[in-house]
Amino acid sequence: MSRSKIGTTEAVLIILTVIISHSILSLPRDLIVRTKSATILNIIFITIICTLLALLIAKLFKKFGNADILDISEYLGGKLFKQIVGAIFIFYYMVSSAILLRNFCEALGLVYFQMTPIIFLILLFVIGSCISNRLGFNVSLKVNLLILPIALVSIVFIFIANFKSFDIQKIFPILGGGFKDTFVTGLLNISAFEGLKYLYFIPPYLKEPEKYKKISVLSAILTGTYLILCVSIILFIFPSFFTTNEIMPLYSAARYISFGNFLQRLESIFMMVWILSFISYLTIATKFAISIFQKMTNIKNTKEIINVFGLLTIAISMFPKNLAVSTFWETKIYSYFSIAIIFVFGISILILANIKKRKNL
Amino acid sequence: MKYTFKRIFVLTIIVLLLVAFSGSYKSLSIDKLAYVVAIGIDKSSSQGYNFSFQFTNVTSNSESGTAEKSPSIVNNVEANSIGSAINLMNSYIGKRINLSHCKVIVISEEVASEGISKHIYTLMNDTQIRPSANIVVSKCTAKYYIQNSKPILENLITKYYDIFDYSSNFTGYSSDATIGDFLNKLECDTCNPVAILGGMNTENIFYPTDITENQSSSVKANESTISGKRGSENIGLAVFRDDKLVGELNAFECLSYLNMTNKAKGFFITIPDPESENSYLDIYMSPTNPTKISIKITNGSPYIKVNCYFSGRIYSVDSNRQYLDKNKLEAISDICDSYLESAFSDYLYKTSKEFKVDINEFGKYALSLFLTTNDFNNYNWNENYKNAFFDVKIDSMVESSILLTET
Repeated sequence: MSRSKIGTTEAVLIILTVIISHSILSLPRDLIVRTKSATILNIIFITIICTLLALLIAKLFKKFGNADILDISEYLGGKLFKQIVGAIFIFYYMVSSAILLRNFCEALGLVYFQMTPIIFLILLFVIGSCISNRLGFNVSLKVNLLILPIALVSIVFIFIANFKSFDIQKIFPILGGGFKDTFVTGLLNISAFEGLKYLYFIPPYLKEPEKYKKISVLSAILTGTYLILCVSIILFIFPSFFTTNEIMPLYSAARYISFGNFLQRLESIFMMVWILSFISYLTIATKFAISIFQKMTNIKNTKEIINVFGLLTIAISMFPKNLAVSTFWETKIYSYFSIAIIFVFGISILILANIKKRKNL
Repeated sequence: MKYTFKRIFVLTIIVLLLVAFSGSYKSLSIDKLAYVVAIGIDKSSSQGYNFSFQFTNVTSNSESGTAEKSPSIVNNVEANSIGSAINLMNSYIGKRINLSHCKVIVISEEVASEGISKHIYTLMNDTQIRPSANIVVSKCTAKYYIQNSKPILENLITKYYDIFDYSSNFTGYSSDATIGDFLNKLECDTCNPVAILGGMNTENIFYPTDITENQSSSVKANESTISGKRGSENIGLAVFRDDKLVGELNAFECLSYLNMTNKAKGFFITIPDPESENSYLDIYMSPTNPTKISIKITNGSPYIKVNCYFSGRIYSVDSNRQYLDKNKLEAISDICDSYLESAFSDYLYKTSKEFKVDINEFGKYALSLFLTTNDFNNYNWNENYKNAFFDVKIDSMVESSILLTET
């Protein structure tokens, strides 16, 4: 797989693919369940924290030029440590994308394909991502550049079209579950910024590496803004203290949209856009997992292992016994897993490597 | 060789996916689907329910064109739940029932009084039901209501159901109550749900004693003076506490509800003529600004201030009247103010003291008075709403008549 170079917009969109795919599922609802009516306040708070963390990551990467976290791990702890870090990140990329894929297919199956076995829905996505990866990273990036803005527009459209049904008062009580819930336990919502995981691997791909800091900050801010948009739709339409969970809250919100008798049932169009953006997300997640594997094993031609990774995605996504198990993974374990790997493990490696570099100087 | 293998592989995948997805495709084939346009739920003589399904004859619609009225078919089945009713009906009609075009869900008063949450949750759990489907509580049996819901001015029953709540935009005598809103309000801690009040206009109408010549707005479904070709009518609202029916609102109370929830677009009121005794003026009022609501908690009770703003046009003109006289218009405006203040206050106290439910969503305005959701939950808005006090202020400006200004 060639090292195609990516521009600033493409890099930001790569990071946004994660949040868009995740928000179509249960993410906005999970955030609201955790912080209730204070979710918007909480997102502003965690966006500030994530922007600072993104700045920190950019600062820590500065001394290593175009190196990614694997190169830095090698510098820090030798080849074995690099292999361990690589394996952890591959595991993280594969498991997170496969479980998300399973949940998305389950939801898709419930809504549109009730008679179709889940394996075929998963196959559809995996085949799409394998073909896309075989065509090269440039193609995936260009497709992503085309689909992601449409997916973003779809969310903005849902926001605008539902605006008349919004109850802005639902932003109150301003502290939701209380100060502790909003600013202490609410810090768990930081896992929504999972897209920042790509910051560890994009430096070697950048056309203009000097814009890495800009990409980091912009991604964090755009992710926060997007989250506010998604959460606002759910918070302002549905009851603030709802007890019944919707499997796809944004899809449910889209069902409320109609313009007279002429334009109704627009959710099918949104679903189509989201399916495309999900394939895009899966392609990029698999691509990065493969490129980590390539770096670990020094293999030259990655085309042959694309299918292996595709099969691996299918295997992992079929692992949960039912929707309850995969949803439990997505809503409960996922947050801790993401925070541990992205914001603790990744940043710790960078800090230690920087300390080592300073000592060596 | 490699190329051939690739081709075979791609073809196999395509065939596999086509076969896999054909299951869903087959079940959605139009020939095998029966489209339900309305569902009725009545209490049956046994423990279960009597479900009515109104179908449209798809083939007859397409064949007959638009000139002829298309017949609708109403089938009934007794069952314990909607799921088993659909199952039984599927086996009877030999097709698969599809609810994606279901426009109305009619529930009889008896069923509504016992609680309807299980029906609402079940229906909303179905991906086919649209959140925009209207929910009607019928004072007669749901079956009878559906059987008599015949389009008079339209050819298709679906067209009638599509527009049957349209007149609420300019009369305010009914409201667009949907199943999506109903579910949201069932889940809501600051409000309670409402449904359209439906009934029959037969020749044996029960006329309540309080209907006088100038109080036609106090009618409700089943009690109106309307007689026509279509048997069913929708006037007023059914009020729920959680999922149980607790009362009814007549036409004018429904109009008050629409004003409190900022859904009113325009309506007629009939006020005493300041210039002549025993005569009345019809005025068409339109809200000029959204209703302002502010809430304070005074001695533990909600104190709710409501400010409404209207402009009015005199509809019923008479000879020898000057409808551009500033003083006369001001006098009429004052009468409108006091008339609406009194009517809205009566309505609000009825919801608070009689029904003890906040259907006006005032609770959401009280949210800002609390810092945390725990504080709000501890206050228990729904329980305290019955102690609420209301201060209604109307600011209306009757501007002129419509076309005839002076005669």
